[in-house]
Amino acid sequence: MKKDLDEIFIYPKSLVDDDAIGFASTVRDWANKEIISRRLEYQKNYDKLFVEKSKKLFVDIGLEKILLPEGYGGIGWNSPSRAPGMLLIFSEVGRADATTGFIGAIKCASLAVISMQPNDEKRTCDALIPHYFAKDLKNVALILPGAGVLGQEAPLFLGRSVGVNTHVTKRGHEVTGKDLRPMGPAADAELFCVASCDKEGKSHIVFVPSDAEGVTKGMPLRQTGLNACRNTDVSFDKVDVPREYLIQRGGAIEGLYPWLNLLLGGVSIGAAMNFYEILADWSENRTIKGGGLLKENPLCASVLADVAEEIATARLMSFSLAHIIAGTGERDRLPSTMTYPFSQMIGSRIQQSALKALNRGMELMGSAGYAKEWHVEKHWRDIKTIQSYLCGVGAEAPIKLDLARFFYDCREV
Amino acid sequence: MKHFDEFSRPEEYVSPMMKHFRTVLRNLLEKEVMPYRREFDEDWDEHRIIKPIFDKIMGRNGLGFQRALFPEKLGGWGLGHSDYLGGIGYAMAEEMGRVDTGIAVAFLVTLWPLLTILVEPHVNWSLAREFAPMFCNSDKAVFCALCMTEPQGGADIENLELLRGRTIRTTARLEGNEWVINGHKLWPTNTGGVASLLAVPCTTSPGSDDPNDYALIFVPADTEGVTQGGAYEKAGMAADKNSDVWFEDVRVPSWYRAHGPGTDAQVFMGHIIPLGNVGSMGMLVGSMLNLYERLYEFVSTRTYQNRPLKENDAIAGIIGQIAGDIDICRIIGHEGAMIIDRRNKPYGKPLNSEEVIGKTRNMKYFVADRAVENFGRAMDVLGVYGVDREWDIEKHWRDIKMIQLWMGGKQLCQMEAARYFYNCNTL
Repeated sequence: MKKDLDEIFIYPKSLVDDDAIGFASTVRDWANKEIISRRLEYQKNYDKLFVEKSKKLFVDIGLEKILLPEGYGGIGWNSPSRAPGMLLIFSEVGRADATTGFIGAIKCASLAVISMQPNDEKRTCDALIPHYFAKDLKNVALILPGAGVLGQEAPLFLGRSVGVNTHVTKRGHEVTGKDLRPMGPAADAELFCVASCDKEGKSHIVFVPSDAEGVTKGMPLRQTGLNACRNTDVSFDKVDVPREYLIQRGGAIEGLYPWLNLLLGGVSIGAAMNFYEILADWSENRTIKGGGLLKENPLCASVLADVAEEIATARLMSFSLAHIIAGTGERDRLPSTMTYPFSQMIGSRIQQSALKALNRGMELMGSAGYAKEWHVEKHWRDIKTIQSYLCGVGAEAPIKLDLARFFYDCREV
Repeated sequence: MKHFDEFSRPEEYVSPMMKHFRTVLRNLLEKEVMPYRREFDEDWDEHRIIKPIFDKIMGRNGLGFQRALFPEKLGGWGLGHSDYLGGIGYAMAEEMGRVDTGIAVAFLVTLWPLLTILVEPHVNWSLAREFAPMFCNSDKAVFCALCMTEPQGGADIENLELLRGRTIRTTARLEGNEWVINGHKLWPTNTGGVASLLAVPCTTSPGSDDPNDYALIFVPADTEGVTQGGAYEKAGMAADKNSDVWFEDVRVPSWYRAHGPGTDAQVFMGHIIPLGNVGSMGMLVGSMLNLYERLYEFVSTRTYQNRPLKENDAIAGIIGQIAGDIDICRIIGHEGAMIIDRRNKPYGKPLNSEEVIGKTRNMKYFVADRAVENFGRAMDVLGVYGVDREWDIEKHWRDIKMIQLWMGGKQLCQMEAARYFYNCNTL
């Protein structure tokens, strides 16, 4: 494929500064050199190899430190205005390997809870960043509101069950929850970023170190995609955490979702863009009907167009979300009550579009799309896995109800 | 929970023989396959778990299904001359697809090429006698492969109606009383060292679009010059191995050709394509019946707003549509099977007619699209649990995508439908 991806899948470049473009360019070079051009070498066990390669991305290139405040040795992009740049960078990571992007996105979204201006939590940053975000590539997993279990009445966050509860103790907080299904590399996580409720039903976020007494992990799950991201069920049995590990401010959970939707949207779009590259190359010399180029057949060309259309519109939508998060100044910045539903709406659409692009393109590629050799099926499984995780539970229904509450002031749904 | 058999099927299409096949097969599959299917993905190359299962389904010491098509007097069950061939084939596909579509396709593709020589009125008694002992007397599973796809052509081989074999590059040259075959095939089910008997579409005159030059020739897999590559690693369908197959000056007796000039093409279009479509639908519907079973459990035991998911109107809208689609797809699947079984009736159509091919292609395309969409949505209903193999839905989601892609895929189905319904002449 001869064209530059950014010339095909355009985005509003005015939203992104030179620093971000430079960083994204470095990530693209890493992706091309370390991952994309060497995929055939990694036929066996490539998921794990890619994660090893990602250490260079996080440590040498510095993705690990990008959201860290400067005061903690970071690059200091802990401002909403950096959202478009973060999106651009995570698209490049996703283009190389969605698992790497997924793990990084979850860690960044968790860090945003405590470090993102204007809601940066100084005491929590002091307590957590030096141990979990500033050195040695520690893994973080999320535990979000989701499906409840019949017969177990649970506090709710916008209809979704919150399976973790906290209560105040003399030294801090006690955290309890059973058979929780995290999102992220829970089997290898050193820290959990957890949506929880107190006994009054007030929701907040609490951080739980995995080595704290009372934390137990199950066996690694076998899941559709993101196979190098080892997930597992987790239980908290009266786990004591320090007072500063709990984020008391209102809207903390709502504030997590825009970053998740943005960064994971970027990852899926990046994976879909790489699929576009593979498909474009593949369609260059495939023939049908005894000699005609496949891409010159009107029906096949329409399918190819579908693929490009889904990716292009998803990318434009994703930058709209970045713009919403960033605002253009304090006056233009939306309150979390508005950012949340818009991020859910756009985030859901992005994942649907990315998956549709893969599904449509695979229809043309036939068995080539299904064999591991072409790497298409991995993108397909990875995007689907991200989409299902972001749904949480109930497919698009809970998000539709979020939107109904926002757009129509529904009170009962 | 409603039993999955309460999904609609035209009761007048259900024969006593179909019921018997279903009962026997379901009992075995639930006991011998269902408990182990989550381990299949890791067994994709070695088939240590999978192979003994096939022996139980197909071999003489098990259910013996691999001899179903052969005439009774050769040790078979005579399904090849049954008026219920389509219905029973569909039922077998549905029962197996409910458990594992990889198992289903590996078994059904064994019967698939044999259809061309064992179904009335095109029984080739010489070949039937030749191959019957291989399938009817074996305690172990014995597999066939139908080697269609070639590197250059994608779905061209399946597009016989338009291209009439013009693009086939695998050649068959008659020397004395032997065919000499040369060529390269990709992706046949049951290759990678599995199949004992290969059926190979060839051309006797490269570049010709004369149906007389289309030859379907049977080749024992251990014939000198046949090389099967290693199994491809795929997204799913672990019970089905696929590989490259090379034919280098492969010699087989001249009477290993299915029938002869003209008839080979006619039988290929009439038996392979429509029955392939019906079998595909059976697998898809079967997998969706299992989707319903697993989804029912999840939406009944997990909650949103502290009530079962299924009691929320918005979620009920989603799962209601999924169940509705399954219901309709099952009716379509049975109707597709009945199109096959009407072939000898005054009101039926020949299997190689444009109508049968166009309609069954259209049906398969519709059911495959519904299945791909519904499995995807069901995974989203399960959310963070949807990608977990323990809930089985994600495995079906990976597996059934292949059914949408095979036999020329969605676009060829659309073309065949257009040809029939709009009298298109150049597609």
